[in-house]
Amino acid sequence: MLIENMLMAFSSIRANKMRSFLTMLGIIIGIGSVISIVSVGDTMKGLFEELYRNIGITQAYIAIGYWVDDWRESDYFSLEEMERIKEIFGDEITYIDTDAQTSADAYCARTTVQFNYTGIDYNYQEVQPINLIYGRFLNEGDVLGRRKNVVMDTVSAMNLFGVENAVGKTFRTTIYGTTDDYTVVGIYRKEMNPFQAMMMGANTEGGEAFLPYTILSWPNDFIYDLRFFCRDEETMDELCANIKSYVARSKDRQPEDFQMVTAKEQMGQWNSMLGGLSMAVGGIAAISLLVGGIGIMNIMLVSVTERTREIGIRKSLGAKTRDIMVQFLTESAILSACGGILGILLGGGLVTAGGMLMGVQTVIRPEVVVLAVGFSAVVGVFFGLYPASKAAKKDPIEALRYE
Amino acid sequence: MKSILGGLGRKKLPDYITDNISEDLIRLEDLVKVYDTGALKVLGLKRINLTIHRGEFVAIMGQSGSGKSTLMNILGCLDRPSMGHYYLDGVDVAAMDSDELSLIRNRKIGFVFQSFNLISRTSALKNVELPMTYARKNKKLREERARQLLARVGLGKRAEHMPNELSGGQRQRVAIARALANEPPLLLADEPTGNLDTAASVEIMELFSQLHKEGTTVVVVTHEEEIAAFTERIIRFRDGEVLSDSPNVPREPRGRDSAPDAEEGIELRDT
Ligand SMILES: Nc1ncnc2c1ncn2[C@@H]1O[C@H](COP(=O)(O)OP(=O)(O)O)[C@@H](O)[C@H]1O
Ligand SMILES: [Mg+2]
Repeated sequence: MLIENMLMAFSSIRANKMRSFLTMLGIIIGIGSVISIVSVGDTMKGLFEELYRNIGITQAYIAIGYWVDDWRESDYFSLEEMERIKEIFGDEITYIDTDAQTSADAYCARTTVQFNYTGIDYNYQEVQPINLIYGRFLNEGDVLGRRKNVVMDTVSAMNLFGVENAVGKTFRTTIYGTTDDYTVVGIYRKEMNPFQAMMMGANTEGGEAFLPYTILSWPNDFIYDLRFFCRDEETMDELCANIKSYVARSKDRQPEDFQMVTAKEQMGQWNSMLGGLSMAVGGIAAISLLVGGIGIMNIMLVSVTERTREIGIRKSLGAKTRDIMVQFLTESAILSACGGILGILLGGGLVTAGGMLMGVQTVIRPEVVVLAVGFSAVVGVFFGLYPASKAAKKDPIEALRYE
Repeated sequence: MKSILGGLGRKKLPDYITDNISEDLIRLEDLVKVYDTGALKVLGLKRINLTIHRGEFVAIMGQSGSGKSTLMNILGCLDRPSMGHYYLDGVDVAAMDSDELSLIRNRKIGFVFQSFNLISRTSALKNVELPMTYARKNKKLREERARQLLARVGLGKRAEHMPNELSGGQRQRVAIARALANEPPLLLADEPTGNLDTAASVEIMELFSQLHKEGTTVVVVTHEEEIAAFTERIIRFRDGEVLSDSPNVPREPRGRDSAPDAEEGIELRDT
């Protein structure tokens, strides 16, 4: 009987193809937008997660709060202090440096390229895997001996030297007023998807290089902030709080006077923002499902009226109230579920196409798809209830007389 | 879920369906039908008393507006009397609710309409299957019996045709096959030949004669004497009342060889 009803529903949907399609349109658009919005949200979440995993989710920065009015000299860090923190929290932090960065022009033969230099410690590679393809990474000797050695990526090497493998080549640059020759000891390849390039800025014309932080930070420097990586993502919040209160104590301040930024926290903010956004927009899209449902109810009412005579015939042959009810409910549920399936194809297609255009792998969760089809069928049943009961209640003789 | 979808559970049929209680298949007592059209009330039937026995072949005649259809609709449990009693197989149907009446129509009555009333865009086969579908018969059995019935009314080769691909006479034969689907004891036909030419009308009446011979009670409304001539009893109506009620010597159905639709052949005798 159920199969019989479904076949009947399909044949009646097919009999009015255009009308059925227009009726489904509301559901198609509703489900299509819900699917695409949820998918865009999920995709973005995944991208942010990847981005933060790439830069190191346990990465954290500490500095005196920008909101503090009475800055003192002691609010800055010194190399000595950094060493002390390394000693005290050494088991829990895997890496620490002075977050030193500067930029200057680099010269080689007739080429001049603007370079950004990042000062790092020799074990930086352990917390930030680098795809080294030529030469070696900076070593302990480079850092301790303040050797003027650098590691750069292939694009920077191309820009400055015209070749990728620039190991052994030298260039001239001026850092903090001192002009020197620097030697390339290693070359790595940067791998970024378009989203990461967009968020972090892709280097196409300029140059980027790592050099020993000891070249950028000297014992008597005032260091604004420290950057470190925690060993464990789970316990890093606690560790950061401990470091904050240690720093505050040593500088005779309150922990609230210091700002601590962690990648994990930032990612969490993005996630909750994206989650809230897709909930809100998805909710609005769900309203179009309601409108779609009303469209289905409307067309089912028309259909019931048009088929009054058919209902009369069926009743004259012995159809009970429930038989007619189920027949029309099946029809509206199938109408709506078909709309749901088309909506998924539409939404999924749009998102996939968009993802391909941007070179991003999109995420469409299967449970969302199942939920969407199920929900559209429920919408169909719900909005079909009234027309179906109207059909089922028809008096057989009245219905047979209907012209 | 089961109860909503229906047809999955099988209930025992009530006694009024399974038992043949009465020799009087139809008994009307002081039956009145009033049409309330707002401003004025029209008396469709005025205190009808009538008995039709099991196995009779009856014609109901009368001028247009005399109340024939009104009576047939009540006999067919499509409509309810305003007053009085209608005992079908000894059971008063006036007290039944609409689903009980559906069950009665499904099992006890085959109704043939003047305008055929086939469901459009639905094959002859599916149309014939419908009463069995509502009786929750299984698919294989339904289809088998529907094919038998179509063969019997001479449409064995037309089973897959849609109603709009069939002639009037063929449509009416599909309708008759459908009316017979659940082997009802009572066959009602309201001007079944009203939309047909003479040849097709004769075919239909011969079919009824045959069914009558096989034991079905047949009641046919007509205003043509030639059609009524096939029956064994003629009841005449006027203004909602019985004018006369007399036996009739039925006209003999023709033999099989003279059937006009020789190619298909009306296989009345084969089944
Ligand atoms: N639905 C209705 N509403 C009001 N009056 C009706 C209705 N159906 C039939 N009648 C009236 O009842 C009388 C009998 O009609 P009917 O049974 O259709 O006659 P017949 O079938 O013999 O031509 C007529 O006067 C007709 O106008
Ligand atoms: Mg009539």
